Amino acid sequence: MYIETRDLKKSYGEGGSFVQVLKGVSIKIDKGEMCVIQGTSGSGKSTLLNCIGGLDDIDSGNVSVAGTLVECLKGEKLSDYRRANLGFIFQFYNLVPNLTVRENIQVCEYLTKDPLNMDELIEVLGLTEHQYKFPSQLSGGQQQRCAIARALVKNPKVLLCDEPTGALDSKTSRDILILLEKINRQYGTTMLIVTHNNSIKNMVDHVIYLKDGEIYKDYINEKKVPASELEDL
Amino acid sequence: MGWILFKRAVRDLKSGFARYIALALLIVFSLFIVISLMGAADTIIDSTVISDRELNCEDGEFSVFVPLRNEEIKKITERGVSVEQMFYVDYSLNGDQVLRAFKVRENINKISLINGTLPANDSEAVIERRYSEVNGISIGDKVSIGNKDFTVTGIGAAPDYNTVIKKITDTVVDSRYFGLIFVTPEAYDELYSSGCSIASEEYYYAYVLNGAMSESELKAILDDNTFDVEDVDDEYFKEYWDRMTERKDELLEGIDELKEGASDLADGADDLNDGITEFHEGMKDLHDAVPDLTDGVEELDDGAAALETGIKEYTSAVDKIESGASDLSDGASALAAGTSELNTGADLYGTGVNELAGTVEVMSQNEVPYIAEVAGGFLDPAKALATGFAQIQTGIAGVNTGATSMSNGAYQLYQGIKTLNSNSGALKRGAAGLHAGTTALKEGVADLSDGIDKLYDGSIEISDGSDELAKGARELADGVKDFSDEANDLIDEVFNIDLSNLRVFINKADNPRIDSAADDVQINYSASIIFGILLVVLFAYVISVFIVHTIDQESAVIGALYSMGVKRRTLTLSYVAVPVIVTFISGVIGTLIAIFTPAGIPAQMADSLGYFSMPKMDIIVKPFVLIYGLVIPPVTAFIVNVLVVRNRLVRTPLSLLRNEQKAVRGKELKIKGLKFIPMFRLRQIMREIRAGLTVIFGLFMSLLVALLAINTSVYCTNVKNSYIDLTKYEYMYNYKYPTEEVPEGGYEAVAEGFKKEIYGYTFDVTVLGITKENPFFDVGELPDNDSDVVISSAVANKYNLSTGDIFTLSDDKGERLYAFRVVGICDYTASMFVFMDIDRCRDLFNEDDDYFNVVFSDHALDVDGGRLYSTVSKEEIARSSGIYVEMMGPMVTTMSVASAVIFLVVMYLMVKMMIDRSAFNISLVKVFGFRNREVRKMYLDGNFYIVAIGALISIPLCKMIMDYIYPRYLVSNVGVGVTADFPPEVYAAIFAVVIVLYLAINLVLTGRIRKIKPAEVLKNRE
Repeated sequence: MYIETRDLKKSYGEGGSFVQVLKGVSIKIDKGEMCVIQGTSGSGKSTLLNCIGGLDDIDSGNVSVAGTLVECLKGEKLSDYRRANLGFIFQFYNLVPNLTVRENIQVCEYLTKDPLNMDELIEVLGLTEHQYKFPSQLSGGQQQRCAIARALVKNPKVLLCDEPTGALDSKTSRDILILLEKINRQYGTTMLIVTHNNSIKNMVDHVIYLKDGEIYKDYINEKKVPASELEDL
Repeated sequence: MGWILFKRAVRDLKSGFARYIALALLIVFSLFIVISLMGAADTIIDSTVISDRELNCEDGEFSVFVPLRNEEIKKITERGVSVEQMFYVDYSLNGDQVLRAFKVRENINKISLINGTLPANDSEAVIERRYSEVNGISIGDKVSIGNKDFTVTGIGAAPDYNTVIKKITDTVVDSRYFGLIFVTPEAYDELYSSGCSIASEEYYYAYVLNGAMSESELKAILDDNTFDVEDVDDEYFKEYWDRMTERKDELLEGIDELKEGASDLADGADDLNDGITEFHEGMKDLHDAVPDLTDGVEELDDGAAALETGIKEYTSAVDKIESGASDLSDGASALAAGTSELNTGADLYGTGVNELAGTVEVMSQNEVPYIAEVAGGFLDPAKALATGFAQIQTGIAGVNTGATSMSNGAYQLYQGIKTLNSNSGALKRGAAGLHAGTTALKEGVADLSDGIDKLYDGSIEISDGSDELAKGARELADGVKDFSDEANDLIDEVFNIDLSNLRVFINKADNPRIDSAADDVQINYSASIIFGILLVVLFAYVISVFIVHTIDQESAVIGALYSMGVKRRTLTLSYVAVPVIVTFISGVIGTLIAIFTPAGIPAQMADSLGYFSMPKMDIIVKPFVLIYGLVIPPVTAFIVNVLVVRNRLVRTPLSLLRNEQKAVRGKELKIKGLKFIPMFRLRQIMREIRAGLTVIFGLFMSLLVALLAINTSVYCTNVKNSYIDLTKYEYMYNYKYPTEEVPEGGYEAVAEGFKKEIYGYTFDVTVLGITKENPFFDVGELPDNDSDVVISSAVANKYNLSTGDIFTLSDDKGERLYAFRVVGICDYTASMFVFMDIDRCRDLFNEDDDYFNVVFSDHALDVDGGRLYSTVSKEEIARSSGIYVEMMGPMVTTMSVASAVIFLVVMYLMVKMMIDRSAFNISLVKVFGFRNREVRKMYLDGNFYIVAIGALISIPLCKMIMDYIYPRYLVSNVGVGVTADFPPEVYAAIFAVVIVLYLAINLVLTGRIRKIKPAEVLKNRE
């Protein structure tokens, strides 16, 4: 398994404010798989993503990504793990406001010795004509594409996407999803997408549904639909 | 990546250009000042070292009563020490100026020419630099002194007059009225021989030890030098000398009397010795007789003991006899009584016998024959019985009589023996008393014997002592005779031939005229280093506040970058890049301006050059100054910002992504009874506590600068005022050769110069003995002893003395210490005086009863200049006292403006940033319907309390710091004890200025709040 969690538990708060967010979640994701994690608000999907990404500590259980036990990593080693393995895409892009598109991508280019070709990536993501613009000069979709490019440029083994289309309109969302699909195909990147959007599950290989911190559904999607054909985005 | 994020930093710099440029300008300005001061200090200090070497600056100097003889100079120079005459004479010029004339120096303290050449002939001269500058004298100008005209051929400076002060005790340079002129030796002699000098010639020599001997060795040699009075030409000296020699005869007479007295003492001691010898012999006889006396007394005591024993036995026997006599008497009495009864019985018996005989006779005559017969048989025996019994009765009567007599006799015997026995007690007591007496006598004799032994020993010692005494008295007499001979010789020497020639000996380090510019700027140097770093820290911290603001805004972005594996170090470096760039560029600009523009180092040097007489100097920039200007600011900014930023970036990526805010104290703050807006304001203060503290820090720094300026201004003004107000006399004449009588209208005084060190500087303190009538010093009643003194407040302030304190002063040569007790402090801040009664002062310094060396007066006196070291007029004092105010004026203004600018900029930037941070909230509350006035109250007016409280704390704190620093480091080289105290109104004024500056900023920023539209909320959200 490329990504695996075993009996993963995570809680927040103490006493009266104690919340058990993940109640022993075990999942397995193969290399190159596109996986969607769905669930209602508070179901623990973002927390699961954060635990896999090493952004959040876990209470118990195991998280293994590409053979690395994430829970054993601290500080610099955790940074090195993220640097070597992960790319993140967020709902609100989180681009450096006073760097251009190209520069924002370049920020992550240096993190690996073997980055993807910048120009090719920019072209693939349709950012060629915007590459010298600042984030504030771009639309939401363009900004998200820039964020994807930034995440991809270091050629990560795993792409973790937290509501990548959450702030986008339907058309732009489709474009982004097509792009992710294309990247998965072209670069073989394993993708874990957290989303509220019910349609996205149709385009991925693997669907995990969380409910109240537990696995509610976990299945392989046998009837994958291309992103371009998704409805109700 | 580094350079990419660096680009971000550069763009951040561009976007915040206005605030960064404001800060950069402040840093440029601060570093410009600091580097200028340091560069100027380095230049002056190093140039002083170089010029001292090149001009062969003296190691010290000394003055003598009469010029050294050649052999005396040779004695020093042949050991390897260089010596050169530095004789000078003061001449009046233009009525109120004094020019001190020197011969052109050859080897030591050579003149450094700024312009022109050394005098080539007797009508040419070099003028000292500062005098020429202040009085507008140029090469080619004429200067007239002593009825002789000199053409100025050069402008120069001499290392031994770095500070051109007339007297070594002067505190202020005033080149308008005093300067130096260097002429040829011939011109010098010609000038002096004209008799136009205002004081006698001073015989100073400069020396350079060349490592040949120590300073103390040189001084010892000079101390041994004496001078021949006949060598002195000075008429005033001779007159003074003649007066002094009148004391010689008195001394000689005294010595003769001493000699005679000693001789008499020796004779008397001989007589005493003879008497003691006789006494000793008598004592010896007595001592020898003591053993016989002891033996006799012992025998006497033994006899008395035997007598006492015999008498005891005798009295015991008498006692027994008495007892026997008593018994005998009693027996005799009983016998007498028995015989008496026997007698009585015999009488009765006789009567019976007679009756028997009568009866027998009658019966014999009885008619009855038988009876008559029988009775007749008894008739004869009865008659014989009666007859025999009569004889017995007679015998018994005799026995009775004898017994009675015996009884009487025995009783008398008893009575006699009793009397004897009673007397024998007294005999016994007498014998015991006798024995006790003889025993006591024996002991007394033993004591007497001991006493006599001791007496004898004492008499031996007395005898020996009297021998010694006699011998000593003889030796004393001989010694006094020798002393008399020697004293006569000595007096001859003192009064006629030789005298210690050394007057003043001062080494280079103690000479306030030498290297004083370098000493002066050393303070600037040290202060600049500290102040510069503090300012850079302040500005770096101000920048860090902006950076923190940016980090807070970009929290999610940072979180995203962390998520990708960007490390904290990389981000930290990218965020500290701005302050490092700003401070580095500012440092470079500030340093370059300081080094390469006339407004920098040259302008700072001008302050020193405008006061001290310095040689030509090339600017010296040492590596440390460059490091300070180019490296310290970015490094400081780096350290400050790394500390601040790291703390901000230490959060987890998730926390940053969520932009979680730390719980800010104050959010939960609730004070019962406080209305909404004051409560909100209080919370806002707590939220922006970092900016608030920065404002207080900035306020503190600016107040430190402001109080330095105010202290300087107040100090200089106080110096000026104290000189003018407290100088009551019009003239003070310092005598070299005092007259016998005090000049008419003058008040004599005795002044003795002393040295006292504080804060690394040694100052002259003058013990001034004044008369009770002296109207110029309000010192109250002066103590009538030579250890209690009244000190001027200048001394009290300078040396932190209070009434009751004991303090010591050492004389000029450092050879003798005097201890004084402060019994009073008089309000006199202008000079460091220790006041005594003139007579006590004379006693203390072993001067004559009519001695004086200073005269004060309220008008000019007719005193010959040749008698004087110097004359000081109130006019001169008033003139020179204002020089500090003039000198420091520009600096005070600059510092005041700098202080205000620092405060304004820091305050403006911080408050503006607070508003920017709260822009979203401000627009939100506007959406809610709050008016601009209310918004201002909520977000802006809280700063008033920060500023007000900050000012209330910082003003006294800064004043305390300055009051601590000021006397110790900034005016520690100024020989007056004036304080920089100022009245409460000044504190109030400083506070008012702070508030006014705040209100001005408040006014400007109120406009900014007004500009924030409610739509901001929407924009931000989008």
